[in-house]
Amino acid sequence: MSEAPYISVNDLVFRYPDGTLALDKINLKIYDGDLMALIGQNGSGKTTLSKCLNGLLKPTEGSIIVDGLDTRHTSITSMAKRVGYVFQNPDHQLFNSSVWSEVAYGPRNIQLPPEEIKERVQEALDVVRMPSRYYEEHPFFLPKGLRQRVAIASILALRPKAIIVDEPTTGQDIKQSREIMEFLVDLHEQQGHIIIIITHDMPIVARYARRVVAMGQGHILADGPTAEVFAQPEALAKTFVEPPQITQLAQRCADLGFSPRTLTVEEMMEQTRQILNK
Amino acid sequence: MAIVRFEDYQWKYANTKEFALRGINLEIEEGTFVGVIGPNGSGKTTFAYSINGLIPSQYYGVRKGHVYVAGREVKEYRADELAKQVGVVFSDPEAQFTAMTVEDEVVFGMENIGLTVEEIRERLEWVVPLTEIGHLMDKPPYEVSGGQKQRVALAAVLGMMPRVIVMDEPTAMLDPISRKRVFDVLGRMKHEQSNTVIAIEHNLENLIPLADRMVLLYNGEIILDDEPRPFFEQMDLLLKHDVFPPGAIQYFFELLREGYYNGPLPLTLDDATARLRQLVEKVKEQS
Amino acid sequence: MNKTILGYVPEESPIYNTHPATRILFLLIVSLFPMFISAPEWNLLLVVLILILMRYSRIDFSILKLYVPVAVSMGSIILLSYTVFAGNHPEFHELARVLGIRIYYERILDAITVYFRILPMIFIMIYFLSTSRERDIIVAMRSLRIPYAVTYLVAMALRAVGMVIEDFSIVRQAEQARGFDPVGKSIFYKMRKFVMYIIPLFALALRRADEFANALIARGYSFTGLLSNPKRADYVLTHYQAHYWDYLISFVLIVMLVALVVMRYGLGMLSLEGSLTEQLLRAWLLN
Repeated sequence: MSEAPYISVNDLVFRYPDGTLALDKINLKIYDGDLMALIGQNGSGKTTLSKCLNGLLKPTEGSIIVDGLDTRHTSITSMAKRVGYVFQNPDHQLFNSSVWSEVAYGPRNIQLPPEEIKERVQEALDVVRMPSRYYEEHPFFLPKGLRQRVAIASILALRPKAIIVDEPTTGQDIKQSREIMEFLVDLHEQQGHIIIIITHDMPIVARYARRVVAMGQGHILADGPTAEVFAQPEALAKTFVEPPQITQLAQRCADLGFSPRTLTVEEMMEQTRQILNK
Repeated sequence: MAIVRFEDYQWKYANTKEFALRGINLEIEEGTFVGVIGPNGSGKTTFAYSINGLIPSQYYGVRKGHVYVAGREVKEYRADELAKQVGVVFSDPEAQFTAMTVEDEVVFGMENIGLTVEEIRERLEWVVPLTEIGHLMDKPPYEVSGGQKQRVALAAVLGMMPRVIVMDEPTAMLDPISRKRVFDVLGRMKHEQSNTVIAIEHNLENLIPLADRMVLLYNGEIILDDEPRPFFEQMDLLLKHDVFPPGAIQYFFELLREGYYNGPLPLTLDDATARLRQLVEKVKEQS
Repeated sequence: MNKTILGYVPEESPIYNTHPATRILFLLIVSLFPMFISAPEWNLLLVVLILILMRYSRIDFSILKLYVPVAVSMGSIILLSYTVFAGNHPEFHELARVLGIRIYYERILDAITVYFRILPMIFIMIYFLSTSRERDIIVAMRSLRIPYAVTYLVAMALRAVGMVIEDFSIVRQAEQARGFDPVGKSIFYKMRKFVMYIIPLFALALRRADEFANALIARGYSFTGLLSNPKRADYVLTHYQAHYWDYLISFVLIVMLVALVVMRYGLGMLSLEGSLTEQLLRAWLLN
């Protein structure tokens, strides 16, 4: 891609106050139009990196430029307008007494006029398909799925260009996971958001992510289109991540003519028909 | 005799309109490894809590029918007596810790059921290497990683030597490698111990190789209950109830459906690889 | 290295040769010493002794830096409250009048005395907290025959504090992610927003309490009241042995305490009147 990246991470080093090295010389460019999965085992630096992207954590060395602004010298408010972060546990991020005021909390923090706040809240709640009968409910009493939607809506109301979602499918069954992902893909395609998903769910990555960044021990070990990254077993092994089962099957049978870039059962069937009908 | 037996069992929570479990009949023989699957909200956790007595002791609701463990009604056990029969591992690794160090955590349950110091020492000698937590014993349980937490929880439960171990989505919150290591421990446990294991899991790839029997719960009812191979042959029924089998099984089912293949469904990746090789080579020889 | 409540202590530190109960006795008894010592120079000597003990126990002195602001601000508060807010006492020696506030010699002497009484207590606390882990406190309480249920409640409380601190930092980040910027805002604004933290912290605590109760029951623990103390083995205690020196240290500490009481009230020693500090201050301030 030749266009300028929306987020550009340059030689990023991050150390925790106790001296632990969490990120070591990370270079990463995130472009308008990215729908990206950030994978790697726990402790690989995924969450630290993504918190650096929206300025919650500041680089120890190196820099992160978001939309032309250096996160080290940019206020929390202007970062929040550009990169949104949805935390894994909705309970950590719901502090208001009604769904409506929860979603309005961000826009109020950035001091928008009341009419605009109202408009944005309504839009965000519509996007997450929150039924209006819940608007005045206390978020605490909603079921987990709805609490998660409130959390996403409360980020959407800030209209950030990029949205980072931390493990949205953990604890969900496959159907629910797919619903969440399809919703995020919609946001990407229809509203034009950059979406960054942190996840452990490889079948979900294979199905929905266009780009995969694999991390391990504070480094980026692989970065590219999903099928390309899953086709690099050595790099993946270092992140302790395995491609989905169907991809592994295709890779083990690559000598029979299957593509190691296979991601779905449908693709596998397509190839099988060709191979067996020859 | 069945170690766990449900008889026309029904349960409704006080704050809901619908019954969470509706007419469950099930017998589980001692020593079997049962995988219980189904979408969220189908009653899996209620099912687990009904075996370990949290239902009805900790929840209000309407209970009909019976659940027997080792021949005795669950609700007639005292808490510490039932804990000797049924151990449980919960899905949230954070939420099940009760002590200051991993070691305290593992011995807590053993102390509660009245073991002596010597008995506790003996049990630690096998349960600690089995779950590979020896290097963690001095650490606070909330400082170790998620996967290690679940192994600690497993060690704490195993140490109490319950006849039945119920696991409520023990790997739902874990990354793939930690998930695999928890299943490695379960595999070893299955080979070395004769516990009955009831594992509720979304992660089928790891579950299937261990399971002797699979149960599909949906909307509070048992829809399907069989050995793994015939269970997954009911692909349409599974998909209809929002169960999505691992890629290799789905793929072989498609092969069956389109007439390319007519053998048994492979349940593991190794098995699938071998069968796909055979299939392609056979077709190539013929042509 | 062992992680203690306040920091890290090398594993080979001689402090680990003592039983946790001895350490808690040290805390309890030595904190009483300043109560019987009025003369600031003797309290200063006590501080020096504790510093020597810290060095001997291989505590990293850099943690003391964290407490310099505490010591300084406490000193200023005490001095202020004894001078500015001293009131009107014609019987005292008036040293000066600043903006109509009378500064008395006696009050300054009192401030110094109080300050040097509190200082050793702070050092003793730092010494104790930086050589003890949470577990040590529990073990100490149990070996002092405090009922199990009580020690367990203390353990849970310590645990809960840790979890709340962790949650607190995540909630704060979540607020920032929503554009909440405390920089440059008034203290009242911050206070008002600060109250908001309490909601999620409370929500998390409520959900956890539920899960925690389930975990306890699953481990066969029945809370049978504080005083009924059913016999249970205490495996963890078996790791800790009291040596003859533990008894010796405890004995010496008690003898020292008795000696102090006798010196103070029997022999009238260690008092403020006629102490070195008093003489110096008198010479300096009252010509």
